[in-house]
Amino acid sequence: MSSEQYQVPTGSGSQAPGGSRNFDAEPPTAMHYLCGDCATRVRLEKGQPIRCGSCGARVLYKERTKRMVQFEAR
Amino acid sequence: MKPSKEELERRNIVGVGAERVTNVTSTDYPGHFPGEDHAWDLGYFRDNVTIEFHKNEPLEAEFSLIGVDASIANAFRRMMIADVPTFAIETVHMEKNTSVIQDEVLSHRLGLIPFKGGKTGFRKFMKFYKKPEDGEEHSYVDFNTIQLSLNVECTHNKKAAKNETDVTKLYNHAHVYASDIEFNPVGRQEQYFSGDNAIVPVHPDILIAKMRPGQQINCSLLMHKGVGSDHAKFSPVATASYRLMPTIKIKSPILGEDAKKFQKCFPKGVIELQTVTRKESKEEGPFKGKEGEWKAVVVDPMRDTVSRECLRHDEFKDKVELGRKRDHFIYSVESTGQWRSDEIFLEAVALFKEKAKKFEHQVINMAR
Ligand SMILES: [Zn+2]
Repeated sequence: MSSEQYQVPTGSGSQAPGGSRNFDAEPPTAMHYLCGDCATRVRLEKGQPIRCGSCGARVLYKERTKRMVQFEAR
Repeated sequence: MKPSKEELERRNIVGVGAERVTNVTSTDYPGHFPGEDHAWDLGYFRDNVTIEFHKNEPLEAEFSLIGVDASIANAFRRMMIADVPTFAIETVHMEKNTSVIQDEVLSHRLGLIPFKGGKTGFRKFMKFYKKPEDGEEHSYVDFNTIQLSLNVECTHNKKAAKNETDVTKLYNHAHVYASDIEFNPVGRQEQYFSGDNAIVPVHPDILIAKMRPGQQINCSLLMHKGVGSDHAKFSPVATASYRLMPTIKIKSPILGEDAKKFQKCFPKGVIELQTVTRKESKEEGPFKGKEGEWKAVVVDPMRDTVSRECLRHDEFKDKVELGRKRDHFIYSVESTGQWRSDEIFLEAVALFKEKAKKFEHQVINMAR
């Protein structure tokens, strides 16, 4: 085999899971959710009522994980 | 002692009766007929094998392979399906998928998309990818992995008419197609897969997913070379099959209205109606005094589906003999687009040769 083997970058696969997280930083005070009614991204501070800012719906969903998930295409 | 021509023909035909097939096993091997030598001979084989193309289009080929044993013909068929390599997506790294189609289902769909690319690069440069053993690292390198990515987001189309109801006009990227997949060449892949040789889906209009505004798919895809015996997505053919050449022997003439009825027992083009000529009507025999009458003539038995319909009618039952030629294989090869359909067969023949050489080596080692 040749000496100039090229390593294909595999996106976030090569990094440690959640590698960029900094544990010394302030814990995040706000979370983002998705409105169950109008699908807008809702920012919620600690202690805030669970409610969509734009349409007033009370059902909010958690966002999908930002981590890469690997699948076999089979 | 050499068998007569008739005898050889009889041996070569598998009989097809109304409810049974006869004479199914081949007998052309040493020791079957006393005094006849049927040992395999290269010269004889070379002189007797013929290949004849009936149809040769990029995505579909039909050809006859005549003069080989069923075991050889079947080996080619199986190798076209399971051993000729192609590209297919094997691993999906899903960064984001907010569409309604589940990650697993989307991945599966992506895997089934046929891709084509430069043939020199595919044959000479690309190698098979070896899955790492437990505890081993992945070894993705430019000659075993091809990187693709799919990044699409559905948005509202601001320019759409107010009362538009067609979702493809109302939104951008409402439909995700195979053509949205991007090829990201790495390393030496630039040399082999650029311009006309770029790796692209064979059919750009394959629908992968449907989305609505706010939904998004981001993923990177890893593609490898693989074979159909591993997974059907790697198979280069939609179907590769063969059938034996049908034979129809009219033992005694079928005339007049019967001929018309007989013609209708077969698919179009198999039986032709011809008129009995003056010459035939004057000669002694079954046509005597029948000038101008219709007679049934077999013109293209290859089109026959061997439905055996004619054997259901009492008037034809004893006048016709159906059969199939034992050593005449009519292949039908339908390519999925990575290879031309005739290339698939040639590729199978090359693989067969390679396997035979490896086997020869084994036998020599064994005999030592
Ligand atoms: Zn809302």
